Amino acid sequence: MRAQAPVIGRELERLDGLWEDGLSDTYRSYLDAVVSYEEEAQPKLALAAALIEAGLRLQGLGGRAAPAAALLMGDLCLARASRLIADTASQSLQVAFARAIEELSATAASGGTGKPVRELLVGALESGR
Amino acid sequence: MIAKRLRFKTSGATQFVDITSQLRDEVRRTGLRFGRIYLQSLHTTVGLAVNENEPLLLRDFQSLLERLAPSGAGYQHDDFARRFDIALDEPVNGHAHCRQLLLTGFATLLVEEGDLVLGQWQSVFAVELDGPRQRQLAVQLDGEFETEGSKSSPLGGEVARRESGDEHQSKHADQALVELELTRQLMIDPDPVALPMRRLVEAGGKRLRPRLVQLTARIGPRQEPLRAAALAAAVELLHNATLIHDDYVDESTHRRGRPTVAAAEGAERAIAVGDFYFAKATRLIAEIGNGDVTSTVAEALEAICASQIDDVALRGAFPGDHESYLKVVRGKTAALFAASCASGALLSEAKPEAVEALKRYGDLLGTAFQMADDMIDFSPSSGKPVGLDIRQRVLSLPLIYAAEDKAVGPEIRRLLAGTLGDAEVGRVTDLVRSSDALDRVGDEARSLVEAALRELEAVELDGLRPTLIGLAKSAVDRQS
Repeated sequence: MRAQAPVIGRELERLDGLWEDGLSDTYRSYLDAVVSYEEEAQPKLALAAALIEAGLRLQGLGGRAAPAAALLMGDLCLARASRLIADTASQSLQVAFARAIEELSATAASGGTGKPVRELLVGALESGR
Repeated sequence: MIAKRLRFKTSGATQFVDITSQLRDEVRRTGLRFGRIYLQSLHTTVGLAVNENEPLLLRDFQSLLERLAPSGAGYQHDDFARRFDIALDEPVNGHAHCRQLLLTGFATLLVEEGDLVLGQWQSVFAVELDGPRQRQLAVQLDGEFETEGSKSSPLGGEVARRESGDEHQSKHADQALVELELTRQLMIDPDPVALPMRRLVEAGGKRLRPRLVQLTARIGPRQEPLRAAALAAAVELLHNATLIHDDYVDESTHRRGRPTVAAAEGAERAIAVGDFYFAKATRLIAEIGNGDVTSTVAEALEAICASQIDDVALRGAFPGDHESYLKVVRGKTAALFAASCASGALLSEAKPEAVEALKRYGDLLGTAFQMADDMIDFSPSSGKPVGLDIRQRVLSLPLIYAAEDKAVGPEIRRLLAGTLGDAEVGRVTDLVRSSDALDRVGDEARSLVEAALRELEAVELDGLRPTLIGLAKSAVDRQS
């Protein structure tokens, strides 16, 4: 198992296996984007972004629909991220994250191809400072 | 009696215009509790019909009308050389008049407990036969408009109507604000996500969660109806977003009498629509600018999602037990009831003890509400297909209690262990009804409501106590 910040462990309850299954790498990929935030908030915001990316992937958003169990796990990832953001982020960052998901899901619903998830979420982190 | 005109514009030559939600809105707006709506077409080429809103079936109806009265089949009405006083823009529409003869120009719909009495599959249509045109129907609403009085319920209790005239007016004003806000929000979204959500929202629903938000937002010193309506509408959108994903998971084909998003437009669209409104609702709540409200709703959403996973996992041990049931229901249903109550109170800057008491009230009420919902699955008069929960292997307290019953339990457990066809579902339903399970669930739901009401005893509620009491009782003493 890859090392986690203590706060991460608490937030992975019921998401067994996701950390080892790529969430840790996704989390690390967002660490650069959160360096300008307060130190205490950085792991939570990076995790929130990683959970959104993982959640949307689990659901199969924009691709083939996931089976029920994966969809529900994806929903839990999004909900956990939402709570982390609500507890940690400024109002402008909360809005920016939500808008990123709105853009991704509206594009998926119309059958189009939009910006990659990570680009949108990094953009949200930058604009929400 | 109230008389109105229902105006609408059609966009096709033949078109089935579903007017159910508009009629429901009229019932809600006018406060008609028990009575009738009379409808009359004011055109000779517009008919009325009550049938299922299933797109392929509507095409079948169109084909049938075309076969019975084909267009351009040499109608004497279209022979203008033989007619007098013909308008310059007289249409060639003999077929449309003949088709109208096959339909009806009049309809009476029943209203009970403030809602149209319609079976699950029934929708009300104005049928355009010579469009596109601007059309109107005459509508009269007649019956009991007042809120005083009482009604009987499947739980056998009497629901006291305790709303004062002012409260009644305030309720309708609140409802109108929420409906307006929902309409406004859905109008500005992209069609691929907005249209499916609009269909779901317009199909009705009890709007209990937004009602709780608006009521509790009147408890503290900061009372701002528009902010409360914005929060209430966001909570309703969030609730509907979870339903869209639930319907895909449960493989449900219909909700509120309409095809589910997943059934009508595919799982991919359902996932995207659910995600969009999950995000939009959280954004709308964030934009209200009260961090405690945002966190309260976010916590509830997390509880809902975790419970959905538990719910599906427990279907392997169907019908489950009381403890598992309560755990799932408190997350899946009660969490958003509790958050609705708490967030409204937080928005109004109510005292912390009031917020906590209302949160517990919502939790208990939500649990009781779900129990009542479970009972409705066994009620033939609910308008919903009986035994749907059994068929979908959804956790259900009457079933849990009946499966524990010494007399009928063994047969129920044996049937549930096998394939559940119509005969098996029917037999299980009969066995549950023959046991004391429904009585036990009814008693338990009522005792939860009593507990919920006790939570309010020590709290200053600014005159809202009777309304919260009435709402709690009506949430469990209901027929649909």
